[in-house]
Amino acid sequence: MGSDLDRQIEQLTRCEPISEEEVKRLCLKAREILIEEGNVQVVDAPVTICGDIHGQFWDLMELFKVGGFCPDTNYLFMGDFVDRGFYSVETFLLLLALKVRYPERITLIRGNHESRQITQVYGFYDECQRKYGSANVWRWCCEVFDYLALGAIVDGRVFCVHGGLSPNLQTVDQIRAIDRKQEVPHDGPMCDLLWSDPDDIQGWGLSPRGAGFLFGADITKVSFSNIWNHVLYAVHFAFAVPWNMVPWELDSPTPGIHRLFSGAFAHNNAIDLIARAHQLAMEGFKLMFENRIVTVWSAPNYCYRSPWPGRHLPPPIPYVLVFWRSTRAMTEGAWYPRVFFTFGPGYVR
Amino acid sequence: MDSGYSNEDIAPIAILMDELRSEDVQLRLNAIHSVPTIALALGSDRAREELIPFLQDSVDDEDEVLLALAEELGRNFEEYIGGKEYAHLLLGPLENLSAVEETLVRDKAAESISKIAAVLSQEQIEQYYIPLVKRLSQGEWFTSRTSSAALYAAVYDKVSPAIQDELRKLFSALGSDDTPMVRRAAAKWLGPLLAHFAQHHLLSDGLPIYRRLQSDDQDSVRLLTIEDLIAIAKRISPAEVKEHLLKQIKQSIGDKSWRVRYMAATHFNELAVAVGKDLVREELVGLFVNLLKDNEAEVRTAGASQIPGFSSQLEKEVILARIIPCVRDLSQDSSQHVRAALGKEISGLTPLLGKEATIEHLLPLFLHLLKDDFPEVRLNIISKLETVNNVIGVELLSDSLLPAIMELAEDKSWRVRQAIIEYIPLLAKQLGKPMFDEQLGNLCMSWLGDTVYSIRESATVNLRNLTEVFGVEWAKTAIVPKIMGMGSHTNYLFRMTTVQAIATISSSLNLEIIRSEIIQPLVELSKDPIPNIRFNVAKAFEVIGTTLNKTPEDQRFVQEWIVPALERQKNDADADVRYYATRALQKSLTPAS
Repeated sequence: MGSDLDRQIEQLTRCEPISEEEVKRLCLKAREILIEEGNVQVVDAPVTICGDIHGQFWDLMELFKVGGFCPDTNYLFMGDFVDRGFYSVETFLLLLALKVRYPERITLIRGNHESRQITQVYGFYDECQRKYGSANVWRWCCEVFDYLALGAIVDGRVFCVHGGLSPNLQTVDQIRAIDRKQEVPHDGPMCDLLWSDPDDIQGWGLSPRGAGFLFGADITKVSFSNIWNHVLYAVHFAFAVPWNMVPWELDSPTPGIHRLFSGAFAHNNAIDLIARAHQLAMEGFKLMFENRIVTVWSAPNYCYRSPWPGRHLPPPIPYVLVFWRSTRAMTEGAWYPRVFFTFGPGYVR
Repeated sequence: MDSGYSNEDIAPIAILMDELRSEDVQLRLNAIHSVPTIALALGSDRAREELIPFLQDSVDDEDEVLLALAEELGRNFEEYIGGKEYAHLLLGPLENLSAVEETLVRDKAAESISKIAAVLSQEQIEQYYIPLVKRLSQGEWFTSRTSSAALYAAVYDKVSPAIQDELRKLFSALGSDDTPMVRRAAAKWLGPLLAHFAQHHLLSDGLPIYRRLQSDDQDSVRLLTIEDLIAIAKRISPAEVKEHLLKQIKQSIGDKSWRVRYMAATHFNELAVAVGKDLVREELVGLFVNLLKDNEAEVRTAGASQIPGFSSQLEKEVILARIIPCVRDLSQDSSQHVRAALGKEISGLTPLLGKEATIEHLLPLFLHLLKDDFPEVRLNIISKLETVNNVIGVELLSDSLLPAIMELAEDKSWRVRQAIIEYIPLLAKQLGKPMFDEQLGNLCMSWLGDTVYSIRESATVNLRNLTEVFGVEWAKTAIVPKIMGMGSHTNYLFRMTTVQAIATISSSLNLEIIRSEIIQPLVELSKDPIPNIRFNVAKAFEVIGTTLNKTPEDQRFVQEWIVPALERQKNDADADVRYYATRALQKSLTPAS
C-alpha cells in the first residue's frame, strides 16, 4: 500500500482533493477494512477522542497540530465528518486515507450525518458534485458510511457513540447484534445511537430532532459501590498540567467526587463514562449527569461559519478528550486509567 | 450524426458547444479550460475560422466562465491559430470581454490584450490594436473606457509619433472622464504609461493629466496618484520636481482624506529617493513628521514602517532632532498595531545612530517595548535584536530581555510560544553559553513538556539547533541527561517526546554520546507497552542507522545494537511497528552492505 497512499495523505493534508479514480480505490479498500470491525469497535488507550468536525478541514488540521498527527497519536472520531463546512470532501477522504493506511491508529464511527438522506440536504452531496462534476464520489463515500462502526469502547471503560442511548438497548452485546450495513433507519436502535441526546429529564422523552430520544440521568444511573475500586479517573488538562485549571484531580479515591461513570446502561456493561458528540458545546465539551456523560465538540470555527485561513486571528483550539493509562498502573496491574481533557480553552488574543 | 461531416471533423467544436450550453457552471468552466486542446484538435485554420468567431459570441455567461476565457486567450493562444501573424484575431473576443460588468473579467481581458500586444508587429498594432483602444476609450458605457486605460502602456513605444500624439490625447480624456471609475483606472495606469513618454511630453502632457487627477474630488482617485507622482519625480531633475510638483506633494501628504495620507505614508521612502536629498531635507522631513503624528492609527502604522528607510537619507543630527522625538511618541502610542509596526522597524535605526546615541536614545525605548502588553510588539522587538546587539552588545539589554522572553515563553497562545522558540538559537548565540545555561536552559527543556504537540516538536528542533551553536560536549551535559530522564516518565507523551527528541538531535551528536547515554534506554523503549512509542523508536533507529555509517566503528555499533533490536521489532504484535522496523532495517543496512 505504502507510497501511493502516503502521497494521497500528503496531498489531502494540503486540502487538495485526490482524483475520482483514487477515491474509488480508497473507498473499496476502506470497506475491506471496516467490514472486519465490530459494531462496537474495541480500542486501546492511549487515544484522543474527537467530536464533530463537519467539514471544517482547518479545524481538523489545528487539532492535529495541537494533539499530534496520526499515526504518532491515536485518534477516535465520533462521526459527523461531513456537511455544513466547506471542506467535507477533503476532511472525510483524509480521515479515510489515514484509516486505510493506519487501521490500528485511527477509529471512525458513524454519525447521523453519515447518511445518504442527510448529506443531500446539508451540503456533502453538493460539494461532491461541485468538486468532481458527478455524484460518483458521494455515492462511494455513502457506501463506506454503511460500513462504519456504530460505537467504540476504550479500554473496556469508556463507551463512545455519536448520539446516545436507545430504549431498545440494554447491553453492548445487543448493539453488537445489529445488522449495521445499511442506510441509517428512521427509527429503531441503530437510529437512536446516532440521534439521541442526554437531557435534564426523567427517563425517556421525545426528541425535538424527529429521530432518536432524549434520555435522563436516571437512565445512566447506578449505585457505584460495586465498581468503585476500579473507577478512578482524573480529568484535567493533559501533560504539562496547569493544575490551577484542573477541574478534578484524583489519585486516591476520595468519597464524594470523581464519580466518572455512567448508569443503568453503564452498570449493565461495566462502563465508566459515555463519550458522545452530536451537539454543539460552546466551551468545547460539556459534562452532564454527575460527570457520567461528556459531549465533545471539535469544530470550534463552526460557530463562526468562517474558514480560518481567511481570518485574521488564529483559530480557537478544538477540544478533544485524551484518554491514557499510566505505566505505573499497568505494571502494578491496577486500574488507574485517566481521562484527560486536553487543549486549553479557545484561543484568546 | 447524419450530416455530410464525419464525426472526427465536427466532434471537438460540437462537444465544446454542447458543454458550453450545459446547465452546470463547473462543466462550462472545464470546457473553457480545454479550449486550447480543442484548438489543437481543430488545427490552426479551423481554429481561426470557427473557434474564434464562436468564442467571440459566447460572452453571455457567468463571470466565472468569462474570467476563465479571458485568461485562456492570454496564454500564448496565438500558437494554436497559426502564430504571431494571426494573433490580432484574439483581440475580437477579448474586446467583448473588456466591456462586461464584472471588474475581474475586464481586468483579466485587459491583461491578456497587453500580453498579446507583445507579439504583434507594428503594422498589426496600428491596424488592429490602436482602433480597438480608440473604440474602448470612446465607448459609450464606462466599463469599456475603464478597461482601455490599461492598454496604452503596452504599445506606446511601438507606434509612430503621430499615433503617440493621438494616444496621449485619448488618455488625457480618460483622466478627465465624468465617471470616477474611469478616472481611477487612468490614475492607476498613468504611472506605467509615463515611463514611455519622451521627456518633453512628460512635462507638456503627462504633468497636466497627473495634476488633474491629483486634485480630483474623489479620494479613491487621488490616492492612486501617489505612484504617478513617484513615476514623474523619477524622470525629472530635483529642481524640476521643486518647480512643478512641490505643491502636489504637500497636498497629497496633507490630504484631508486619511486614505490618501496612508498611501503617501506607505510609499514615503520611494518618494524620498525620487525627489532627491535637498528636497528631503527642506520639505519632506517636516511632512514625514506630520504623518507620524497623524490622527489615524493606520497612517501612523504605515509611517512607522518607513522610519529606518527614510532616516537613512538623513544626517544623524536631523534624525536625532526630528525623527527620534516622534519614535518616542510612537512607542507610547495608544494603538497596539502602531507599536507593533514600530517594534519591527525601530532596530533599523541603530546602525544609523551608532553606539552612543543608540544607548542614550533608543535603549530606553527597546526596554519599554519589551514590556509591552501586546505579545506581537515584544516578539517584533526580539526578532530584530540582532541588529541592535551588533551595535551595542547584548549586556545592556539582557536584564529586560530575559523577563520578556520568559513571559512570551509562557503566553497562553501556542503560536506566540512557537514564535519565541524560533528565536532561541539566535538569542543563544548572542547571550553566550554561561548566560544561556543560567537563564534559558530550563525554559528550553520545559517546552518539551508543553500541552501542544507542535510546541514539543519545535522544542526538539530547537535543541538540535542549540547543539549546533554550543557544540556536542555542551549537549552531552546540558540536554541529553534531561531528555533521557523523561524516557521513564509514567505519561506516555513524555516518553514519546524523548524518542522524538532523540530522532531529531542524534544527527548532531557523535557515536560516543549515543553509545554511552542514549542507546540503552532507547532499546528499553523499543519494548514499551504503547505501540506508538515502539514504532517511533524504530524511526529513531532508522535515523541513527542511516547517519552512523561513516566508519567501520559506526557500522559495528549499528550491527551490535540497532540491528538486533529492529530484528525483534520486525516480529512485533503491532502492524505499524513491524512496518517501521522493516523499513528502518532496510535503510540502515543498505549503506553498510
